[in-house]
Amino acid sequence: MASTSISKAEKSYIQAGFLSSPPLRADGRALHDFRSVALETGVAPLANGSARLSIGANAHDGGGGTEVLAATKLEVENVEEDGCDGGRIVCTVTCSPAAYPQLSSNALDDLQYDMTVILHQTLSHPSLHPNNLGILPKKKSWLLNLDIVVLADAGNIYDAIFMAARAALWDTKVPKTRSVEYKVRKGNSGGVVGGKTGSSGDMDVDEETTSGFDTRQIQQATDFELTDYWDEGEVLDGRERWPISITLNLPPPTHFLDATLPEESAVPLKALLVYSFPPSESPNVQAMRILGSGELTVVLLKDLVKEGEKYARELFIALNSKLKEEDIRRNQKARERFARR
Amino acid sequence: MDLDNEELLEEGGSRLTFPGETLTSSQAYMRGHGTYVDNEEVIASVAGTIERVNKLVTVRAIRTRYNPEVGDLVVGRITEVVQPRRWKVDANSRQDAVLMLSSVNLPGGVQRRKLESDELQMRNFFEEGDLLVAEVQAFFSDGAMSLHTRSLKYGKLRNGQLVAVPPILVRRLKSHFLTLPCGVDLILGLNGYIWVSKHVKESEQEGEEGFDAEAVYSNQNDDIDESTRTAISRVTNIIRVLSSHFIPMSDMLLLEAYEWTVDQEGNAKDLLQEDFGEALIASINTR
Repeated sequence: MASTSISKAEKSYIQAGFLSSPPLRADGRALHDFRSVALETGVAPLANGSARLSIGANAHDGGGGTEVLAATKLEVENVEEDGCDGGRIVCTVTCSPAAYPQLSSNALDDLQYDMTVILHQTLSHPSLHPNNLGILPKKKSWLLNLDIVVLADAGNIYDAIFMAARAALWDTKVPKTRSVEYKVRKGNSGGVVGGKTGSSGDMDVDEETTSGFDTRQIQQATDFELTDYWDEGEVLDGRERWPISITLNLPPPTHFLDATLPEESAVPLKALLVYSFPPSESPNVQAMRILGSGELTVVLLKDLVKEGEKYARELFIALNSKLKEEDIRRNQKARERFARR
Repeated sequence: MDLDNEELLEEGGSRLTFPGETLTSSQAYMRGHGTYVDNEEVIASVAGTIERVNKLVTVRAIRTRYNPEVGDLVVGRITEVVQPRRWKVDANSRQDAVLMLSSVNLPGGVQRRKLESDELQMRNFFEEGDLLVAEVQAFFSDGAMSLHTRSLKYGKLRNGQLVAVPPILVRRLKSHFLTLPCGVDLILGLNGYIWVSKHVKESEQEGEEGFDAEAVYSNQNDDIDESTRTAISRVTNIIRVLSSHFIPMSDMLLLEAYEWTVDQEGNAKDLLQEDFGEALIASINTR
């Protein structure tokens, strides 16, 4: 992904900065400093959940940072056809050509395929699967589409993608459903409960006799309806679990976080570590990738996983408090403002 | 407003306009770049300054790519080595600039003929990604600019980092090679690319005794101490703040801003924070 070519002199200037003591980066940050991250949820009104995230955008005019848009959309799926019981998650990453003007369209396709694979494999893992994506057992379920658009890349794109994905999933509301059953009415006439009744006596329905030995649980629900509810639905189950990633860029003896584009091209080797912090449990490593050219020893990697967890936890806490703040801004405060009118 | 009024379209004068503003009648004037004709009126299509040459009315856009003029000093990056005998250079213009092998100084310093062997080792002089400072020499028929580095002041850049700003923020100055007292040299390219680097000592500048002619095409950086590195970062961040507030660069301004940040005892990275940047701009505006 080292896309911008930089000269050998620039490269060695950046590399020498990491090795000097104390280490100095081109923009004056310390090795483990992040640029400022800005996040807003609920940016796409037609999506079930959405977020817009930027890293290192200029504070005054909002330009020149990494910018990512994430949105989720729920779709009803038949389990028999192509869904799976209990719902599934499909993630897609699209890169705007304006974010990578130097890439050909084939290279852009490759890049967004790589990003899609990493995001999809991590988020659709069974250990993270939310329980409330099913509608009717063995019949219907929700398909959760998570779409990410990379609008601008100024470095550290994977961390931005995972943070935006977490924010959009946190923001996602699943509509409440109620199942509708067809029942044979006692007393010879077929009808529908919960739907239209009538058309009685048109059909010959066998008298149903329930056997005392029949212990099978036969699901009778065949369809569902959306309940009329004031809210958009309930939040995704287990939304605390959604992981965040941390990219450790590795100039040989040290590592640093949140690289800018010139830094990425000067230091090609990086380790992408994805952590999930379930409440009241120990953190899990959900994914691990070594990106770029170069190699790592297992011993070094062990240390990195440990270090990475520390940074990820800080990032996780900060992101969570921002997400809660956004929830309050969009629900509580909006309601108050509405009441005052 | 009555723009047929000669004063408003005075030659050499500049007045700001915005998209959709009627400038003049299309019967009296010709439309140039940045304008269109509707209902026999010349209307601006971009925000910028109105310029008039005889009967031709143009609008020079504020946010635009670099419009080269002969004699301008630019900082560029090599994108391609192409045969025969030329490099393509990204200089933030609409088209890549061209640097001919015949318009660079070759090692050895003295004027000499370009040999076939030079042609075969062009990548030893400049290769893809290399940054250089050059002057606009001429234009090709398609509007692409041709650069030259035939002065010891021009050539490959090292010992520092690049920062890009909108080209309009770099105005023509007496000299585009600035030296700040904090041990930092600046090259303000008129194309909006600014090179911030370690100061070269007087005695080692071109033409002096200590000038190392062999190092002109070197890729090796000198040793840069910590304070210089910090100063380079600080100057870079100041330039970023000024550009986000759309303030044109000048040596006085950069110096004042630098002194202010040192007085505040902030680190270079503090400039990335919004409030610190705002305070910097406020302090500059009051002076």
